[in-house]
Amino acid sequence: MSTMLLDRRGQSTPVQWWDLFRMELTNWRWSWRSSVLQGTITPLFSLLALGFFARDSGREALLYVVTGNIVVSLLFGAMTSVESRVSWLRFQGGLDYIATLPVRHSAFVLAMVAAFLLLSLPSVIVTATVGPLLLGAPVHIHPLILLVIPACTAPLAGVGAALGMTGRTQQQSGNLRFLLTLVMTALGPVIVPPDKLPGFMMFLGHFSPATYAASALRQVMVGPVTARLALDMLVLCAVTAVSMAWVGWRMGRREE
Amino acid sequence: MDVVYAIENLTKFYPKQTSPANKDISFEIRQGEIFGFLGDNGAGKTTLVRQMVNLLRPTSGCISLLGQPVAGNPQHVANHVGYMPQIAHALNNMAVGEALYFTAHLRGMSRADARRERDTLLELWRMGPLRDKYSTRLSGGERRLLRLAVAMAGQMPVLILDEPTNELAPQRRRLVWDVLSRINRERGTTILFITHDAIEAEKVIQRVGIMRDGELVAVGRPGDLKQHIDQKLRLELFFAPDAPPQLPAGLAPHELQPGHWIALIERREASALLERLDLERLDDFRLYSPTLEDLYVHYAA
Repeated sequence: MSTMLLDRRGQSTPVQWWDLFRMELTNWRWSWRSSVLQGTITPLFSLLALGFFARDSGREALLYVVTGNIVVSLLFGAMTSVESRVSWLRFQGGLDYIATLPVRHSAFVLAMVAAFLLLSLPSVIVTATVGPLLLGAPVHIHPLILLVIPACTAPLAGVGAALGMTGRTQQQSGNLRFLLTLVMTALGPVIVPPDKLPGFMMFLGHFSPATYAASALRQVMVGPVTARLALDMLVLCAVTAVSMAWVGWRMGRREE
Repeated sequence: MDVVYAIENLTKFYPKQTSPANKDISFEIRQGEIFGFLGDNGAGKTTLVRQMVNLLRPTSGCISLLGQPVAGNPQHVANHVGYMPQIAHALNNMAVGEALYFTAHLRGMSRADARRERDTLLELWRMGPLRDKYSTRLSGGERRLLRLAVAMAGQMPVLILDEPTNELAPQRRRLVWDVLSRINRERGTTILFITHDAIEAEKVIQRVGIMRDGELVAVGRPGDLKQHIDQKLRLELFFAPDAPPQLPAGLAPHELQPGHWIALIERREASALLERLDLERLDDFRLYSPTLEDLYVHYAA
Protein backbone atom coordinates (compact mmCIF):
# COMPACT_ATOMS: atom_id res chain seq x y z
CA MET A 1 0.00 0.00 0.00
CA SER A 2 1.34 3.41 -0.86
CA THR A 3 2.84 5.31 2.08
CA MET A 4 1.10 8.49 0.95
CA LEU A 5 -2.16 6.75 1.78
CA LEU A 6 -1.11 5.33 5.14
CA ASP A 7 0.84 8.23 6.66
CA ARG A 8 -1.88 10.84 6.67
CA ARG A 9 -2.60 12.48 10.03
CA GLY A 10 -4.75 15.41 11.10
CA GLN A 11 -3.70 18.10 13.58
CA SER A 12 -3.10 17.73 17.33
CA THR A 13 -6.14 18.23 19.56
CA PRO A 14 -5.18 21.78 20.72
CA VAL A 15 -4.65 22.87 17.09
CA GLN A 16 -7.98 21.28 16.11
CA TRP A 17 -9.64 23.16 18.95
CA TRP A 18 -8.13 26.50 17.92
CA ASP A 19 -9.23 26.09 14.27
CA LEU A 20 -12.71 24.96 15.27
CA PHE A 21 -12.99 27.82 17.77
CA ARG A 22 -12.16 30.33 15.02
CA MET A 23 -14.60 28.60 12.67
CA GLU A 24 -17.32 28.77 15.33
CA LEU A 25 -16.59 32.43 16.00
CA THR A 26 -17.77 33.14 12.44
CA ASN A 27 -21.24 32.51 13.87
CA TRP A 28 -21.24 36.14 15.03
CA ARG A 29 -22.40 36.83 11.47
CA TRP A 30 -25.88 35.65 12.44
CA SER A 31 -25.83 35.33 16.24
CA TRP A 32 -25.35 39.05 16.90
CA ARG A 33 -29.03 39.61 16.14
CA SER A 34 -30.17 37.08 18.74
CA SER A 35 -27.53 38.42 21.17
CA VAL A 36 -28.91 41.95 20.80
CA LEU A 37 -32.60 41.06 20.74
CA GLN A 38 -32.80 38.14 23.14
CA GLY A 39 -29.58 38.37 25.13
CA THR A 40 -29.70 42.12 25.79
CA ILE A 41 -33.06 43.75 25.09
CA THR A 42 -35.22 41.00 26.69
CA PRO A 43 -33.34 40.92 30.02
CA LEU A 44 -33.03 44.71 30.08
CA PHE A 45 -36.78 45.20 29.70
CA SER A 46 -37.45 42.46 32.23
CA LEU A 47 -34.91 44.07 34.56
CA LEU A 48 -36.49 47.52 34.25
CA ALA A 49 -40.08 46.28 34.58
CA LEU A 50 -39.39 44.04 37.57
CA GLY A 51 -36.75 46.35 39.03
CA PHE A 52 -39.00 49.40 39.44
CA PHE A 53 -41.62 47.13 40.98
CA ALA A 54 -39.09 45.37 43.25
CA ARG A 55 -37.64 48.62 44.61
CA ASP A 56 -40.63 48.83 46.93
CA SER A 57 -39.95 45.30 48.17
CA GLY A 58 -36.50 46.19 49.49
CA ARG A 59 -32.84 46.02 48.56
CA GLU A 60 -32.66 42.21 48.49
CA ALA A 61 -35.53 41.89 45.99
CA LEU A 62 -33.88 44.53 43.77
CA LEU A 63 -30.56 42.69 43.78
CA TYR A 64 -32.28 39.40 42.89
CA VAL A 65 -33.84 41.16 39.90
CA VAL A 66 -30.45 42.52 38.78
CA THR A 67 -28.48 39.28 39.11
CA GLY A 68 -31.40 37.10 37.98
CA ASN A 69 -31.66 39.02 34.75
CA ILE A 70 -28.01 38.39 33.97
CA VAL A 71 -28.90 34.69 34.14
CA VAL A 72 -31.88 35.44 31.86
CA SER A 73 -29.45 37.12 29.47
CA LEU A 74 -27.38 33.90 29.42
CA LEU A 75 -30.46 31.72 29.02
CA PHE A 76 -31.76 33.76 26.12
CA GLY A 77 -28.30 34.46 24.70
CA ALA A 78 -25.89 31.54 25.12
CA MET A 79 -28.41 28.72 25.51
CA THR A 80 -30.60 29.94 22.63
CA SER A 81 -27.69 30.54 20.26
CA VAL A 82 -26.02 27.19 20.93
CA GLU A 83 -29.31 25.28 20.64
CA SER A 84 -30.04 27.03 17.31
CA ARG A 85 -26.53 26.32 16.10
CA VAL A 86 -26.53 22.59 16.95
CA SER A 87 -30.04 22.14 15.65
CA TRP A 88 -29.10 23.87 12.39
CA LEU A 89 -26.01 21.69 12.06
CA ARG A 90 -28.06 18.54 12.63
CA PHE A 91 -30.90 19.26 10.28
CA GLN A 92 -29.05 21.18 7.55
CA GLY A 93 -26.24 18.68 7.01
CA GLY A 94 -23.51 20.66 8.81
CA LEU A 95 -22.75 17.79 11.19
CA ASP A 96 -21.80 15.63 8.17
CA TYR A 97 -19.09 18.15 7.38
CA ILE A 98 -17.73 18.16 10.94
CA ALA A 99 -18.11 14.37 11.32
CA THR A 100 -16.03 13.70 8.20
CA LEU A 101 -13.16 15.99 9.27
CA PRO A 102 -10.27 14.45 11.24
CA VAL A 103 -11.24 16.21 14.48
CA ARG A 104 -12.25 14.97 17.92
CA HIS A 105 -15.92 15.57 18.65
CA SER A 106 -15.00 16.76 22.13
CA ALA A 107 -12.73 19.43 20.56
CA PHE A 108 -15.64 20.61 18.42
CA VAL A 109 -18.09 20.78 21.34
CA LEU A 110 -15.53 22.64 23.50
CA ALA A 111 -14.78 25.04 20.64
CA MET A 112 -18.45 25.75 20.02
CA VAL A 113 -19.23 26.39 23.70
CA ALA A 114 -16.13 28.59 24.07
CA ALA A 115 -17.03 30.60 20.97
CA PHE A 116 -20.58 31.22 22.13
CA LEU A 117 -19.30 32.09 25.60
CA LEU A 118 -17.27 34.85 23.99
CA LEU A 119 -20.16 35.89 21.75
CA SER A 120 -22.54 36.16 24.76
CA LEU A 121 -20.18 38.35 26.80
CA PRO A 122 -21.28 41.72 25.32
CA SER A 123 -24.92 41.03 26.32
CA VAL A 124 -23.92 39.98 29.82
CA ILE A 125 -21.68 43.03 30.28
CA VAL A 126 -24.41 45.40 29.06
CA THR A 127 -27.04 43.80 31.32
CA ALA A 128 -24.65 43.75 34.30
CA THR A 129 -23.65 47.41 33.97
CA VAL A 130 -26.73 49.18 32.57
CA GLY A 131 -29.20 47.42 34.91
CA PRO A 132 -27.67 48.45 38.24
CA LEU A 133 -27.02 51.97 36.92
CA LEU A 134 -30.63 52.52 35.85
CA LEU A 135 -32.09 51.00 38.99
CA GLY A 136 -29.52 52.46 41.35
CA ALA A 137 -28.79 48.98 42.74
CA PRO A 138 -25.70 48.83 45.00
CA VAL A 139 -23.34 46.26 43.46
CA HIS A 140 -19.79 45.48 44.59
CA ILE A 141 -17.90 43.46 42.00
CA HIS A 142 -15.58 40.74 43.35
CA PRO A 143 -12.62 39.76 41.12
CA LEU A 144 -13.91 36.18 41.11
CA ILE A 145 -16.58 37.39 38.65
CA LEU A 146 -13.99 36.71 35.94
CA LEU A 147 -14.29 32.99 36.75
CA VAL A 148 -17.97 33.00 37.62
CA ILE A 149 -19.29 34.41 34.32
CA PRO A 150 -17.66 31.70 32.16
CA ALA A 151 -18.69 29.10 34.74
CA CYS A 152 -22.31 30.30 34.48
CA THR A 153 -22.28 30.51 30.66
CA ALA A 154 -20.72 27.13 29.88
CA PRO A 155 -23.39 24.87 31.48
CA LEU A 156 -26.22 26.84 29.89
CA ALA A 157 -24.46 26.63 26.51
CA GLY A 158 -23.93 22.89 27.17
CA VAL A 159 -27.63 22.41 27.95
CA GLY A 160 -28.44 24.36 24.74
CA ALA A 161 -26.20 21.99 22.75
CA ALA A 162 -27.87 18.96 24.37
CA LEU A 163 -31.31 20.35 23.48
CA GLY A 164 -30.15 20.91 19.90
CA MET A 165 -29.10 17.24 19.71
CA THR A 166 -32.35 16.01 21.26
CA GLY A 167 -35.33 17.26 19.23
CA ARG A 168 -36.76 15.19 16.39
CA THR A 169 -37.05 18.35 14.30
CA GLN A 170 -35.43 21.78 14.36
CA GLN A 171 -38.74 23.26 15.54
CA GLN A 172 -39.11 20.72 18.34
CA SER A 173 -35.62 21.57 19.65
CA GLY A 174 -36.53 25.28 19.59
CA ASN A 175 -39.79 24.66 21.47
CA LEU A 176 -38.02 22.57 24.11
CA ARG A 177 -35.43 25.28 24.59
CA PHE A 178 -38.09 28.00 24.96
CA LEU A 179 -39.98 25.91 27.51
CA LEU A 180 -36.83 25.13 29.47
CA THR A 181 -35.80 28.81 29.45
CA LEU A 182 -39.09 29.78 31.09
CA VAL A 183 -38.96 26.90 33.58
CA MET A 184 -35.35 27.62 34.58
CA THR A 185 -36.14 31.31 35.02
CA ALA A 186 -39.15 30.60 37.23
CA LEU A 187 -37.86 27.70 39.32
CA GLY A 188 -35.64 28.45 42.30
CA PRO A 189 -34.40 31.81 43.55
CA VAL A 190 -33.20 33.24 40.22
CA ILE A 191 -35.16 36.51 39.89
CA VAL A 192 -37.48 36.11 42.86
CA PRO A 193 -36.02 35.95 46.42
CA PRO A 194 -36.46 32.60 48.22
CA ASP A 195 -38.88 33.95 50.86
CA LYS A 196 -41.33 34.91 48.05
CA LEU A 197 -41.24 31.44 46.39
CA PRO A 198 -43.50 28.47 47.27
CA GLY A 199 -41.70 25.47 48.78
CA PHE A 200 -42.11 23.16 45.77
CA MET A 201 -40.54 25.74 43.42
CA MET A 202 -37.63 26.13 45.80
CA PHE A 203 -37.23 22.35 45.89
CA LEU A 204 -37.37 21.95 42.12
CA GLY A 205 -34.92 24.82 41.76
CA HIS A 206 -32.21 22.55 43.17
CA PHE A 207 -32.29 20.66 39.86
CA SER A 208 -31.85 23.75 37.68
CA PRO A 209 -28.36 25.06 36.76
CA ALA A 210 -29.86 28.58 36.59
CA THR A 211 -30.32 28.48 40.38
CA TYR A 212 -26.61 27.86 40.94
CA ALA A 213 -25.63 30.43 38.30
CA ALA A 214 -27.82 33.07 39.99
CA SER A 215 -26.41 32.19 43.41
CA ALA A 216 -22.81 32.46 42.18
CA LEU A 217 -23.48 35.78 40.44
CA ARG A 218 -25.14 37.26 43.54
CA GLN A 219 -22.10 36.39 45.64
CA VAL A 220 -19.59 38.06 43.27
CA MET A 221 -21.79 41.09 42.48
CA VAL A 222 -23.46 41.75 45.81
CA GLY A 223 -21.53 39.68 48.34
CA PRO A 224 -20.60 38.14 50.58
CA VAL A 225 -18.58 35.39 48.88
CA THR A 226 -19.06 32.26 51.00
CA ALA A 227 -18.36 28.54 50.83
CA ARG A 228 -21.63 28.28 48.91
CA LEU A 229 -19.74 29.66 45.87
CA ALA A 230 -17.61 26.50 45.78
CA LEU A 231 -20.75 24.35 45.70
CA ASP A 232 -22.28 26.54 42.96
CA MET A 233 -19.13 26.32 40.85
CA LEU A 234 -18.92 22.57 41.39
CA VAL A 235 -22.51 22.03 40.21
CA LEU A 236 -22.02 24.37 37.22
CA CYS A 237 -18.82 22.57 36.19
CA ALA A 238 -20.52 19.19 36.59
CA VAL A 239 -23.47 20.25 34.38
CA THR A 240 -20.97 21.57 31.81
CA ALA A 241 -18.98 18.33 31.81
CA VAL A 242 -22.01 16.03 31.62
CA SER A 243 -23.83 18.01 28.91
CA MET A 244 -20.71 18.40 26.75
CA ALA A 245 -19.71 14.75 27.15
CA TRP A 246 -23.23 13.69 26.17
CA VAL A 247 -23.23 15.96 23.09
CA GLY A 248 -19.77 14.70 22.06
CA TRP A 249 -20.90 11.08 22.45
CA ARG A 250 -24.12 11.72 20.54
CA MET A 251 -22.20 13.38 17.70
CA GLY A 252 -19.89 10.39 17.39
CA ARG A 253 -22.76 7.91 17.25
CA ARG A 254 -23.51 6.90 13.70
CA GLU A 255 -27.06 7.18 12.42
CA GLU A 256 -29.13 3.99 12.65
CA MET B 1 -3.60 -2.57 -8.09
CA ASP B 2 -4.15 -1.92 -4.32
CA VAL B 3 -7.64 -2.12 -2.92
CA VAL B 4 -8.77 1.14 -1.30
CA TYR B 5 -12.28 0.10 -0.24
CA ALA B 6 -13.49 -3.48 0.27
CA ILE B 7 -17.21 -3.92 0.89
CA GLU B 8 -18.41 -7.38 1.88
CA ASN B 9 -22.00 -8.58 2.18
CA LEU B 10 -23.25 -5.16 3.23
CA THR B 11 -26.90 -4.99 4.22
CA LYS B 12 -28.70 -2.00 5.63
CA PHE B 13 -32.22 -1.86 7.06
CA TYR B 14 -33.50 1.51 8.30
CA PRO B 15 -35.47 1.34 11.58
CA LYS B 16 -39.11 0.29 11.12
CA GLN B 17 -38.58 -0.67 7.45
CA THR B 18 -39.07 -4.20 6.23
CA SER B 19 -37.19 -4.03 2.92
CA PRO B 20 -33.45 -3.35 2.94
CA ALA B 21 -32.00 -0.08 1.60
CA ASN B 22 -28.86 -2.07 0.71
CA LYS B 23 -28.97 -5.81 0.20
CA ASP B 24 -25.91 -8.05 0.41
CA ILE B 25 -23.58 -5.72 -1.50
CA SER B 26 -19.96 -6.72 -2.18
CA PHE B 27 -17.43 -4.92 -4.35
CA GLU B 28 -13.98 -3.30 -4.27
CA ILE B 29 -12.65 0.11 -5.19
CA ARG B 30 -9.04 0.05 -6.39
CA GLN B 31 -6.43 2.72 -5.90
CA GLY B 32 -6.42 5.41 -8.58
CA GLU B 33 -9.67 4.49 -10.29
CA ILE B 34 -12.73 6.57 -11.09
CA PHE B 35 -15.79 4.58 -10.11
CA GLY B 36 -19.32 5.77 -10.85
CA PHE B 37 -22.56 4.62 -9.26
CA LEU B 38 -25.69 4.79 -11.37
CA GLY B 39 -29.25 3.99 -10.33
CA ASP B 40 -32.71 5.44 -9.95
CA ASN B 41 -33.73 7.61 -7.00
CA GLY B 42 -34.21 5.40 -3.95
CA ALA B 43 -31.95 2.64 -5.32
CA GLY B 44 -29.74 2.86 -2.21
CA LYS B 45 -26.69 4.71 -3.60
CA THR B 46 -26.56 7.46 -0.96
CA THR B 47 -27.21 4.94 1.83
CA LEU B 48 -24.24 2.95 0.58
CA VAL B 49 -21.77 5.85 0.44
CA ARG B 50 -22.90 7.23 3.84
CA GLN B 51 -21.94 3.88 5.34
CA MET B 52 -18.59 4.04 3.53
CA VAL B 53 -17.78 7.39 5.18
CA ASN B 54 -18.95 6.18 8.59
CA LEU B 55 -22.01 8.42 8.88
CA LEU B 56 -24.43 5.51 8.87
CA ARG B 57 -24.23 2.18 10.69
CA PRO B 58 -24.61 -0.96 8.52
CA THR B 59 -27.05 -3.62 9.72
CA SER B 60 -24.58 -6.35 8.72
CA GLY B 61 -21.50 -6.80 6.56
CA CYS B 62 -18.11 -5.18 6.60
CA ILE B 63 -16.52 -2.09 5.05
CA SER B 64 -12.71 -1.79 5.03
CA LEU B 65 -10.70 1.24 3.99
CA LEU B 66 -7.04 0.59 3.19
CA GLY B 67 -7.24 -2.73 5.01
CA GLN B 68 -8.82 -1.38 8.22
CA PRO B 69 -12.51 -1.68 9.12
CA VAL B 70 -14.23 1.73 9.12
CA ALA B 71 -16.54 0.75 12.01
CA GLY B 72 -15.27 2.31 15.23
CA ASN B 73 -12.46 4.08 13.37
CA PRO B 74 -13.87 7.46 12.30
CA GLN B 75 -10.46 9.20 12.29
CA HIS B 76 -9.12 6.67 9.77
CA VAL B 77 -11.87 7.54 7.28
CA ALA B 78 -11.62 11.28 7.97
CA ASN B 79 -7.84 11.22 7.43
CA HIS B 80 -8.14 9.67 3.97
CA VAL B 81 -11.53 10.41 2.46
CA GLY B 82 -12.99 13.71 1.30
CA TYR B 83 -16.78 13.44 1.23
CA MET B 84 -19.24 15.65 -0.57
CA PRO B 85 -22.85 15.08 0.58
CA GLN B 86 -25.78 15.13 -1.80
CA ILE B 87 -27.40 18.25 -0.40
CA ALA B 88 -25.09 21.23 -0.75
CA HIS B 89 -26.11 23.24 2.30
CA ALA B 90 -24.13 26.24 3.43
CA LEU B 91 -20.86 25.48 5.23
CA ASN B 92 -21.40 27.05 8.62
CA ASN B 93 -21.16 30.79 8.28
CA MET B 94 -17.71 30.79 6.80
CA ALA B 95 -16.58 32.67 3.74
CA VAL B 96 -15.48 30.51 0.80
CA GLY B 97 -11.76 31.13 1.44
CA GLU B 98 -12.13 30.41 5.17
CA ALA B 99 -13.90 27.09 4.53
CA LEU B 100 -11.13 25.93 2.18
CA TYR B 101 -8.28 27.09 4.43
CA PHE B 102 -9.62 25.59 7.67
CA THR B 103 -10.56 22.30 6.00
CA ALA B 104 -7.12 21.91 4.41
CA HIS B 105 -5.38 22.79 7.69
CA LEU B 106 -7.51 20.44 9.79
CA ARG B 107 -6.69 17.67 7.32
CA GLY B 108 -3.05 17.94 8.23
CA MET B 109 -1.51 20.65 6.02
CA SER B 110 0.75 23.32 7.53
CA ARG B 111 -0.79 26.81 7.72
CA ALA B 112 1.31 28.01 4.76
CA ASP B 113 0.40 24.95 2.69
CA ALA B 114 -3.27 25.36 3.62
CA ARG B 115 -3.20 28.95 2.36
CA ARG B 116 -1.59 27.77 -0.92
CA GLU B 117 -4.15 24.96 -1.17
CA ARG B 118 -6.97 27.49 -0.70
CA ASP B 119 -5.62 29.65 -3.52
CA THR B 120 -5.07 26.64 -5.80
CA LEU B 121 -8.62 25.39 -5.23
CA LEU B 122 -10.11 28.84 -5.78
CA GLU B 123 -8.34 28.98 -9.13
CA LEU B 124 -9.04 25.35 -10.07
CA TRP B 125 -12.78 25.76 -9.47
CA ARG B 126 -12.85 29.32 -10.88
CA MET B 127 -14.13 30.70 -7.58
CA GLY B 128 -11.55 33.45 -7.08
CA PRO B 129 -14.16 36.25 -7.03
CA LEU B 130 -16.15 34.32 -4.39
CA ARG B 131 -13.26 34.06 -1.93
CA ASP B 132 -14.72 36.47 0.64
CA LYS B 133 -18.37 35.67 0.03
CA TYR B 134 -20.20 33.89 2.88
CA SER B 135 -21.32 30.39 1.97
CA THR B 136 -24.86 31.24 3.11
CA ARG B 137 -25.03 33.80 0.29
CA LEU B 138 -23.90 31.54 -2.55
CA SER B 139 -26.23 30.25 -5.26
CA GLY B 140 -27.07 26.52 -5.36
CA GLY B 141 -24.47 25.88 -8.09
CA GLU B 142 -21.78 27.91 -6.29
CA ARG B 143 -22.43 25.99 -3.06
CA ARG B 144 -22.03 22.69 -4.90
CA LEU B 145 -18.68 23.82 -6.34
CA LEU B 146 -17.60 24.91 -2.85
CA ARG B 147 -18.57 21.51 -1.41
CA LEU B 148 -16.54 19.85 -4.17
CA ALA B 149 -13.54 22.07 -3.44
CA VAL B 150 -13.91 21.43 0.32
CA ALA B 151 -14.05 17.65 -0.29
CA MET B 152 -10.74 17.95 -2.18
CA ALA B 153 -9.06 20.36 0.28
CA GLY B 154 -5.95 18.84 1.86
CA GLN B 155 -5.26 16.75 -1.27
CA MET B 156 -7.36 13.84 -0.06
CA PRO B 157 -6.30 10.54 -1.67
CA VAL B 158 -9.90 9.28 -1.86
CA LEU B 159 -12.96 11.32 -2.84
CA ILE B 160 -16.56 10.21 -2.42
CA LEU B 161 -18.93 12.59 -4.18
CA ASP B 162 -22.71 12.31 -4.04
CA GLU B 163 -24.12 13.80 -7.25
CA PRO B 164 -21.33 16.32 -7.90
CA THR B 165 -22.95 17.86 -10.99
CA ASN B 166 -26.50 18.17 -9.67
CA GLU B 167 -27.90 21.74 -10.07
CA LEU B 168 -24.93 22.80 -12.22
CA ALA B 169 -25.14 24.61 -15.54
CA PRO B 170 -23.60 22.74 -18.53
CA GLN B 171 -20.40 24.80 -18.45
CA ARG B 172 -19.83 24.02 -14.77
CA ARG B 173 -20.68 20.33 -15.30
CA ARG B 174 -17.89 20.18 -17.86
CA LEU B 175 -15.55 21.89 -15.39
CA VAL B 176 -16.36 19.22 -12.77
CA TRP B 177 -15.57 16.31 -15.10
CA ASP B 178 -12.41 18.03 -16.34
CA VAL B 179 -11.13 18.70 -12.80
CA LEU B 180 -11.93 15.20 -11.54
CA SER B 181 -10.24 13.67 -14.56
CA ARG B 182 -7.20 15.90 -14.05
CA ILE B 183 -6.63 15.18 -10.34
CA ASN B 184 -7.09 11.48 -11.01
CA ARG B 185 -4.46 11.62 -13.74
CA GLU B 186 -1.98 13.93 -11.98
CA ARG B 187 -2.27 12.79 -8.34
CA GLY B 188 -3.72 9.31 -8.67
CA THR B 189 -6.73 10.35 -6.58
CA THR B 190 -9.26 7.54 -6.20
CA ILE B 191 -12.71 8.94 -7.01
CA LEU B 192 -16.08 7.36 -6.34
CA PHE B 193 -19.18 9.29 -7.29
CA ILE B 194 -22.92 8.94 -7.65
CA THR B 195 -24.50 10.53 -10.69
CA HIS B 196 -27.59 10.61 -12.86
CA ASP B 197 -25.55 12.35 -15.52
CA ALA B 198 -24.53 9.10 -17.25
CA ILE B 199 -23.79 10.54 -20.68
CA GLU B 200 -21.31 13.16 -19.42
CA ALA B 201 -19.86 10.87 -16.76
CA GLU B 202 -18.98 8.36 -19.46
CA LYS B 203 -16.05 10.61 -20.40
CA VAL B 204 -14.30 9.97 -17.07
CA ILE B 205 -15.74 6.76 -15.61
CA GLN B 206 -13.37 3.79 -15.56
CA ARG B 207 -15.66 1.34 -13.73
CA VAL B 208 -19.33 1.54 -13.03
CA GLY B 209 -21.69 0.03 -10.45
CA ILE B 210 -25.40 -0.04 -11.22
CA MET B 211 -27.91 -0.25 -8.38
CA ARG B 212 -31.55 -1.25 -8.38
CA ASP B 213 -33.84 -1.62 -5.35
CA GLY B 214 -30.92 -1.72 -2.91
CA GLU B 215 -28.93 -4.30 -4.86
CA LEU B 216 -25.77 -3.86 -6.87
CA VAL B 217 -26.95 -5.47 -10.10
CA ALA B 218 -23.85 -4.89 -12.25
CA VAL B 219 -20.20 -3.89 -11.67
CA GLY B 220 -17.50 -3.59 -14.30
CA ARG B 221 -15.85 -1.53 -17.02
CA PRO B 222 -18.45 0.17 -19.23
CA GLY B 223 -16.94 -1.55 -22.30
CA ASP B 224 -17.29 -4.99 -20.72
CA LEU B 225 -20.83 -4.37 -19.56
CA LYS B 226 -21.84 -3.00 -22.94
CA GLN B 227 -20.98 -6.35 -24.50
CA HIS B 228 -24.14 -7.67 -22.81
CA ILE B 229 -26.21 -5.19 -24.76
CA ASP B 230 -24.18 -4.82 -27.96
CA GLN B 231 -26.94 -6.47 -29.96
CA LYS B 232 -29.19 -3.63 -28.96
CA LEU B 233 -29.79 -0.06 -30.10
CA ARG B 234 -30.92 2.96 -28.15
CA LEU B 235 -34.16 4.53 -29.32
CA GLU B 236 -35.10 7.97 -28.04
CA LEU B 237 -38.58 9.37 -28.51
CA PHE B 238 -39.51 13.07 -28.15
CA PHE B 239 -43.15 14.17 -28.00
CA ALA B 240 -45.54 16.64 -26.35
CA PRO B 241 -45.83 15.49 -22.71
CA ASP B 242 -49.62 15.71 -22.73
CA ALA B 243 -49.97 13.59 -25.91
CA PRO B 244 -47.79 10.47 -25.61
CA PRO B 245 -47.59 8.23 -28.70
CA GLN B 246 -49.12 4.75 -29.00
CA LEU B 247 -46.25 2.26 -28.85
CA PRO B 248 -45.82 -0.94 -30.81
CA ALA B 249 -46.36 -4.09 -28.73
CA GLY B 250 -43.25 -5.18 -26.82
CA LEU B 251 -41.65 -1.72 -26.63
CA ALA B 252 -41.23 -0.77 -22.93
CA PRO B 253 -39.60 2.68 -22.65
CA HIS B 254 -38.05 4.37 -19.60
CA GLU B 255 -39.07 7.99 -19.03
CA LEU B 256 -36.04 10.30 -18.77
CA GLN B 257 -38.32 13.31 -18.37
CA PRO B 258 -41.86 14.20 -19.45
CA GLY B 259 -41.98 14.02 -23.25
CA HIS B 260 -38.65 12.15 -23.50
CA TRP B 261 -38.57 8.34 -23.46
CA ILE B 262 -35.72 5.97 -24.06
CA ALA B 263 -35.79 2.26 -24.91
CA LEU B 264 -33.32 -0.45 -25.86
CA ILE B 265 -34.37 -2.46 -28.87
CA GLU B 266 -32.88 -5.47 -30.62
CA ARG B 267 -30.87 -4.55 -33.74
CA ARG B 268 -32.65 -7.10 -35.88
CA GLU B 269 -36.06 -5.72 -34.90
CA ALA B 270 -35.19 -2.05 -35.43
CA SER B 271 -36.52 -1.65 -38.98
CA ALA B 272 -39.84 -3.33 -38.27
CA LEU B 273 -40.28 -1.35 -35.08
CA LEU B 274 -39.58 2.01 -36.71
CA GLU B 275 -42.20 1.30 -39.36
CA ARG B 276 -44.81 0.78 -36.65
CA LEU B 277 -43.95 3.98 -34.70
CA ASP B 278 -46.76 6.51 -34.21
CA LEU B 279 -44.94 9.30 -36.09
CA GLU B 280 -47.98 11.57 -36.00
CA ARG B 281 -47.48 12.10 -32.27
CA LEU B 282 -43.69 12.22 -32.26
CA ASP B 283 -41.75 15.50 -32.49
CA ASP B 284 -38.54 13.57 -33.11
CA PHE B 285 -36.91 10.14 -32.69
CA ARG B 286 -33.24 9.10 -32.63
CA LEU B 287 -31.48 5.76 -32.92
CA TYR B 288 -27.94 5.23 -31.48
CA SER B 289 -25.52 2.49 -30.56
CA PRO B 290 -25.52 1.89 -26.72
CA THR B 291 -24.06 4.42 -24.25
CA LEU B 292 -23.43 4.30 -20.50
CA GLU B 293 -26.93 5.63 -20.01
CA ASP B 294 -28.25 2.61 -21.88
CA LEU B 295 -26.40 0.34 -19.48
CA TYR B 296 -28.15 2.20 -16.68
CA VAL B 297 -31.52 1.75 -18.40
CA HIS B 298 -30.80 -1.90 -19.17
CA TYR B 299 -29.82 -2.84 -15.61
CA ALA B 300 -31.66 -0.34 -13.44
CA ALA B 301 -34.97 0.29 -15.16
